[in-house]
Amino acid sequence: MTASFDRRALATLPSRGELAQHDAAVWDLRRRRDAAAASVPDWEALRERAAGIKAFALDHLDELLTGFEERARAAGAHVHWATDATALCRIVTELLAARGARRVVKSKSMLTEECGLNPHLEARGVEVVDTDLGERIVQLAGEPPSHLIVPAIHKTRREIGALFHRTMGTPAGEDDPERLTRLARADLRRRFLSADAGITGANFAVAESGSIVIVTNEGNADLGASLPPLHVACLGIEKVIPALADLPVFLRLLARSATGQPISAYTSVITGPRPGGELHLVLVDNGRSELLANPAQRSALACIRCGACLNTCPVYRRAGGHAYGTVIPGPIGSVLGPTVGALGRELPHASSLCGSCSAVCPVKIDLHGQLLAWRGATVRKRPRGERALVAAAALALRSAALLGPARALLRLAWPLLARAGRANPAAGWLEARELPPLPRESFRAQWKRKRSAQRAEGERRRKPESAQRAEGERRRKPESAQRAEGERRQGREVVEK
Amino acid sequence: MSERDAILARVRRGAGRRALHPGPHPPPELPGGWDTFAATLATVGGEAHGPFAPNALGDALVALVRRRTDGGRVVAEPSAAERAGRGPWEVAREPAVGHGFADAAVALVLGRAAAADCGAVAVLEDDAPHRALPFLCQRLVLLLPVAGLRPDLHGAWDSLPAAAWRSHHVTWISGPSKTADIEQTLVYGAHGPLGLDVVGVLD
Repeated sequence: MTASFDRRALATLPSRGELAQHDAAVWDLRRRRDAAAASVPDWEALRERAAGIKAFALDHLDELLTGFEERARAAGAHVHWATDATALCRIVTELLAARGARRVVKSKSMLTEECGLNPHLEARGVEVVDTDLGERIVQLAGEPPSHLIVPAIHKTRREIGALFHRTMGTPAGEDDPERLTRLARADLRRRFLSADAGITGANFAVAESGSIVIVTNEGNADLGASLPPLHVACLGIEKVIPALADLPVFLRLLARSATGQPISAYTSVITGPRPGGELHLVLVDNGRSELLANPAQRSALACIRCGACLNTCPVYRRAGGHAYGTVIPGPIGSVLGPTVGALGRELPHASSLCGSCSAVCPVKIDLHGQLLAWRGATVRKRPRGERALVAAAALALRSAALLGPARALLRLAWPLLARAGRANPAAGWLEARELPPLPRESFRAQWKRKRSAQRAEGERRRKPESAQRAEGERRRKPESAQRAEGERRQGREVVEK
Repeated sequence: MSERDAILARVRRGAGRRALHPGPHPPPELPGGWDTFAATLATVGGEAHGPFAPNALGDALVALVRRRTDGGRVVAEPSAAERAGRGPWEVAREPAVGHGFADAAVALVLGRAAAADCGAVAVLEDDAPHRALPFLCQRLVLLLPVAGLRPDLHGAWDSLPAAAWRSHHVTWISGPSKTADIEQTLVYGAHGPLGLDVVGVLD
């Protein structure tokens, strides 16, 4: 693990108790997933099928995207294309501005988090209210989500109660989850009813029908997509699948992998705008086409954002989502992180490479293999000085004759290497690592010293035969001498009495 | 080059054209039937009633609605009202999406298909023209013709008429609105209905 990752983990889960609570909560989701998967007889066949459909979709993505666009337009939706985060923010801002929309209700969308849509709109005077309860909690706290499915999983009920009291004026000391949920429901209900626009993400887009599919447990996306006159759905280009008949495969896997439910409470297939309303679909690239062109890592685009890889990851469970410093945490975030440029060097190391993430992934993404590949890629991108240093180390480690002098040289250079600065060839390495303090004595020196001490002890025990015989002689004194000695002692005793 | 064309050009360069579509998933052999559906629905916080013969449906619904409303406003979508007959409910005639139903204590909506393996009921636009009503009400009551019940989601999905997919929405509902966002404590009624009843109807 890296120093900055560790620092962020400690900031998120500062105490042992909080860490244990987070670990237990996340692991409980994993246990539920296991039970749900075990109850489905064709689970592995479903995973195979889902992986196959996604592989097909990625291999034919251009055709599917144009097919989706054509059918969505035919159904009355407007389709926009955004190369990057800036384009997405611009498109949404213009759509809202053209309709004078100032109050927006938003349902959970990791893509809009990734593109920084909320702060962009807020800076332009638009009130954006996240309506998923977990998202609302982290929005009020001014924090990013820490989990794909349970954004506020790092927060305790007390913290949430205090937050609601501070920001919504709820009764002080209230920390009952049901009552807190009711208070949030009442607050958000009036916002839904008065919103000018609803922004949602989409779990899937269907090329065959031009539909988008939105899955929630709370029903907030359905309210946001139906009450305001304007619905803007933002989706990554990788969300398109070929046909409606493919959806049950994913829907049977998604909620079971996420929370252990047989299916989420609401799955809405939306085609075109609602009567009297407008539907705008924004298809976003933001680095996805780059990943698609990388044969080793394109399968990460198959992700259906269930969060199962987070729930099983020993690093995520003990570090929390904020340690990753990216919108999407956990193994899938570490795979996607380098593509969006965030902490590229660091994240592939936030893994034990145990492979549990790959084992639970419903679409069979080889996550740990991809993390390993990213590690290799980050090594190849190292600065020249650092690569020379690593090459020298490799040379020294291959030769017993060179190792000794290299070791001595390294001990001398250690204080310089630990210092940050451009002149330091290890500076890049140190961005993601901490050079430990050098022990006073090297392992090899310790080994030598202890070994020689052991030898001396052995020597002492294996004295020459003559010396051993002399010792024996001394112990086996003649009988007369022993007798004399006894008498001498008895006499002393008499005298002492 | 437009943004659209630039994105598509990049995607085209990455498209491999190697993978074949794996084809439809063979339906699993799962137990079906009303009891299985009712049991699954219970695990997601819903309650199944019946199934009732058409001539017994009205009385059963009236009793259920009275139990759920405590005198509040009951709104039935037209197709549900047609099935249910006369009762203590008003038929939704409002042309708008449903802002006016924010005070509805109970909504009565007709479902068309259901999957026993996940306790989900499909609601089509024709049967829920007031799109927000099933989400604004305090409790939702879905009428489900038992003939629409299938053992698994694949079967239920395929049983829907092709025209349904051309309408604005098809919504699969499985249990009431729920959240576990506060310390993983399950709470029903995050935004939408606090409870869901599914009433089986024998045709």
